[in-house]
Amino acid sequence: MSGIKNWLAGTLQDPRRAPIFAGALVALTSLFQVLAPFNSLAFLLVIVSMLVVGKAATSKWVKLGLAVLVTLVVIPVAGRQNGALTYLCVQMFINIALALGLNLVVGFAGLLDLGYIAFFAGGAYVYSMFGSRQALEFMPESLQHLFPLGGWWFWAAIPIAIFVAAFLGLTLGLPVLRLRGDYLAIVTLGFGEIIAVLAKNLDHPINLTNGAGGIVGITPPSLFGYKLDTTLSFYFIGIVLAILTALAMYRLERSRTGRAWAAMREDEVAARAMGINLTKYKLMAFMAGAAFAGAMGMLFAVKQNFVSPDSFSFLESIGILAMVILGGLGSLEGAVVGAVAVTVLKLLILKDLADFLSMTVKLPPAFNIPQYQPLIFGLILIVMMIYRQQGLLPGRRPTEDIAQLETRTPKKNTTGKSVGA
Amino acid sequence: MSESLQILPQVLIDGLVVGALYAVVALGYTMVYGVLEFINFAHSEIFMFGAFIGAEVFLLFKPMTGVPHFVPLIIGLILSMVMAGALGWTVERIAYRPLRGAPRLVPLISAIGVSFFLQDIVRMVWTAIRGNWQLGTQDLYATGISFAGAQIQVRSVMIMGIAIVLMLSLSIFVNRSRTGKAMRAVAQDRATAALMGIDVNRIISITFLLGGALGGAAGALYTMQYTVVNPYIGFVMGIKAFTAAVFGGIGNITGAAVGGLCLGLFEALGSAYLGPLTGGVLIGSEYKDIIAFSLLILVLIFKPSGLLGETVGEKV
Amino acid sequence: MALLELQNVNTYYGAIHALKGIDLAVNKGEIVTLIGSNGAGKSTTLKTVSGLLSPKEGQVTFDGQRIDGTPAYKITEMGIAHVPEGRKIFPRLTVLENLEMGAFTISDPAVRQRNLERVYTLFPRLQERVHQKGGTLSGGEQQMLAIGRALMMSPKLLMLDEPSMGLAPLLVEQIFAIIRQLNEDGVTILLVEQNALMALEVAHRGYVIQTGTIALHDSAAALRENKSVREAYLGEL
Ligand SMILES: Nc1ncnc2c1ncn2[C@@H]1O[C@H](COP(=O)(O)OP(=O)(O)O)[C@@H](O)[C@H]1O
Ligand SMILES: [Mg+2]
Repeated sequence: MSGIKNWLAGTLQDPRRAPIFAGALVALTSLFQVLAPFNSLAFLLVIVSMLVVGKAATSKWVKLGLAVLVTLVVIPVAGRQNGALTYLCVQMFINIALALGLNLVVGFAGLLDLGYIAFFAGGAYVYSMFGSRQALEFMPESLQHLFPLGGWWFWAAIPIAIFVAAFLGLTLGLPVLRLRGDYLAIVTLGFGEIIAVLAKNLDHPINLTNGAGGIVGITPPSLFGYKLDTTLSFYFIGIVLAILTALAMYRLERSRTGRAWAAMREDEVAARAMGINLTKYKLMAFMAGAAFAGAMGMLFAVKQNFVSPDSFSFLESIGILAMVILGGLGSLEGAVVGAVAVTVLKLLILKDLADFLSMTVKLPPAFNIPQYQPLIFGLILIVMMIYRQQGLLPGRRPTEDIAQLETRTPKKNTTGKSVGA
Repeated sequence: MSESLQILPQVLIDGLVVGALYAVVALGYTMVYGVLEFINFAHSEIFMFGAFIGAEVFLLFKPMTGVPHFVPLIIGLILSMVMAGALGWTVERIAYRPLRGAPRLVPLISAIGVSFFLQDIVRMVWTAIRGNWQLGTQDLYATGISFAGAQIQVRSVMIMGIAIVLMLSLSIFVNRSRTGKAMRAVAQDRATAALMGIDVNRIISITFLLGGALGGAAGALYTMQYTVVNPYIGFVMGIKAFTAAVFGGIGNITGAAVGGLCLGLFEALGSAYLGPLTGGVLIGSEYKDIIAFSLLILVLIFKPSGLLGETVGEKV
Repeated sequence: MALLELQNVNTYYGAIHALKGIDLAVNKGEIVTLIGSNGAGKSTTLKTVSGLLSPKEGQVTFDGQRIDGTPAYKITEMGIAHVPEGRKIFPRLTVLENLEMGAFTISDPAVRQRNLERVYTLFPRLQERVHQKGGTLSGGEQQMLAIGRALMMSPKLLMLDEPSMGLAPLLVEQIFAIIRQLNEDGVTILLVEQNALMALEVAHRGYVIQTGTIALHDSAAALRENKSVREAYLGEL
């Protein structure tokens, strides 16, 4: 066993052998995936091989090339036979973007947000309300001929959804500015619940959301006259949005703003002493985090062709938190890997496990494993907190960020180590 | 309007009963917060577990029609207190103690994990033993009496009475007993308390034991009031009880009681009169939960120390 | 044999090496003072003895027993009272409740009552304020309460961390008079001070600590005459 491990580690570190090995691995798993698109194991192997490639000592271009090969060729080709595969990937891209967005708020800025899904809901509802026959319920007669909006509006709605979600972020951020971490967490939870209650009850006096019944028949996006209503088209939109989110996060983390967030997260008192405007940076964190969720909410709405309050429960917020914590707070790679792991666990492994169990041991229905997602999320949170608070792929060291920031900002005042906290 | 006034006594009584439940659950949050400055997010699930234990005991006595109702009530109350207290103690040992001294959010995240974990475990266990995670039980003291023009259920009076007894006992315990005083010392300064010869870990364990027992008692009372329990009753109760604790001034035992009763009354009045007041535009019962959440947000923003936050005397 | 003995004690705060091999002994009946400038490690030494910190290396012996690594509450039960820097009285407990907290380890009510009377004789001011909240006392009264609270546990060894800090000169005189009197009544005392002059006047022996190591130790009289001590700690040039 250790022989294999050593050989693997050696190969991955050898700049000559690594690219060949990585290429062979991806080619092999990809072939398996294409030949056996209905096999979950094949998909798991593809994901694992991508992770291994990520660790290999080879140029960025080789890695990028392999990633493009898998995402743009292998999955779509395999997905032509098995729609569930592409569907899973769309959800995975959505989750990646959500995890990255929440990671911004919790990991970069240190603000525990337990109602993050509310912003996602905001984006989903804004588009669904106008992009479906629901609009006829509440728009004045004279304007009704405009609705439901045509598919090209999807693109125009993205900035609107971003704006609405960021505005929601601002409404949440403003009142909680002065609150300490744990109180803030509870308020964000309350905020998430308020949004859910509103979604559930705003079917009267004016029917905005259609209440618990939800909204169906949401116009899919269209581009140059082509209707993008297949899972595969959502898959490509998902990739683009997830990549844009990741790039934005990468830039943000290394920006002045990112360093200010890091300082704020480590020690608010010291950060203020360094001249960092806490109000501004907290609001920015809430608004930026919310904006990404809003855009992904739209994709979610068109992908499901249905939105209802059930999709935006507290459990969903915790699911995203579990992704971020699993990967490692403050770590971009961590958020991505956490999102992939939780999505695969949720939509693939648990289902297969249940099928396997029901065929083999005939467990009573009480132990129907996929029902128990909350239990699994809960365990992830507990176990990670006790044994590995930094997550599977820890983020950059925060102290470096602060040190950099300190050299750039004029010091107004030096405080010692803050007491208490 | 005269019609709405007629229902007022009933509304007030309902509000007080629910408020009493909020208050007892709030005590658990407030004690733990007072001692550790930590929101025990899983407290709501300990309450829910207590409700299930209470329901099982009440069910057990359902066929025994000759047995007076106080027998299942007392046994249910005691058993749910013992079991929920033990659960509170265990949770602290496993999921919080290893995290002592870590940044604030770390134990909070662990507590959220515990909360979901317990919710699902209860669901799993009761699905396994009863085939259904929703459990209905027998009505205890369901007779009504007439008072000031209102129909009062005997059980409402019993629930309020038991809640008051629990709150007074806790208050006496914390203020008079040696352990209670040690709790107050630990709450104010943990290191110095240790220098007084107080075993701080033991006191923290006792705090979770007591908090859990109170949560369990509230669970049994909840079962008595509503007769149907499910694994999700803890979530909303938890938010509301926490709101009550913050509203009264977290860490403050009297504050939890006052906060619970106030919140119960606000909600009852809100659900009864929001509809008529807005001409039927907003339906009170639907926005009831928003009342609590909004109150929580408003209090935290404008007076985070709560109503009685400044009266330091009664702090745990 | 020494009542308290520290041998090669090394204590850390995470990566910070605060005590670098402290050797120190306090004999029964003595007043020993530990002096040194701010940040030298005086408070850390007391915390290591009382169990609030545990040393990574070295040993602490009290009354012939190893106590390093023992939890603080057990060390208190063994008879070490630690009056922490900054008094650390319980602000929301009354004066009486604070004193009762001090007697937490004493189960015999008669002993508790006797100790209480002794504290009241030493500090009549506290008796006048029994029902006042600790947090509302003046600085001097809080110091009296902190010492009184420590005496409530009938300690064999009393450790005081900068009892004169922030007090008016007259109050400082009073506190030192009481320290002397307690010692005459048989209490062994380890006194940490920045006010080296006063400390060396009441103490029998003294240790000078510098960045976590003992730089000097001698009789108090000798330290008072020591040239480098005079320059560094007694404000002479
Ligand atoms: N809680 C702490 N965390 C980290 N370092 C500490 C802590 N307390 C004290 N120190 C460091 O240990 C050294 C000794 O401190 P201390 O014993 O308090 O000094 P003194 O009491 O002599 O003024 C100092 O350098 C101080 O900065
Ligand atoms: Mg000191």
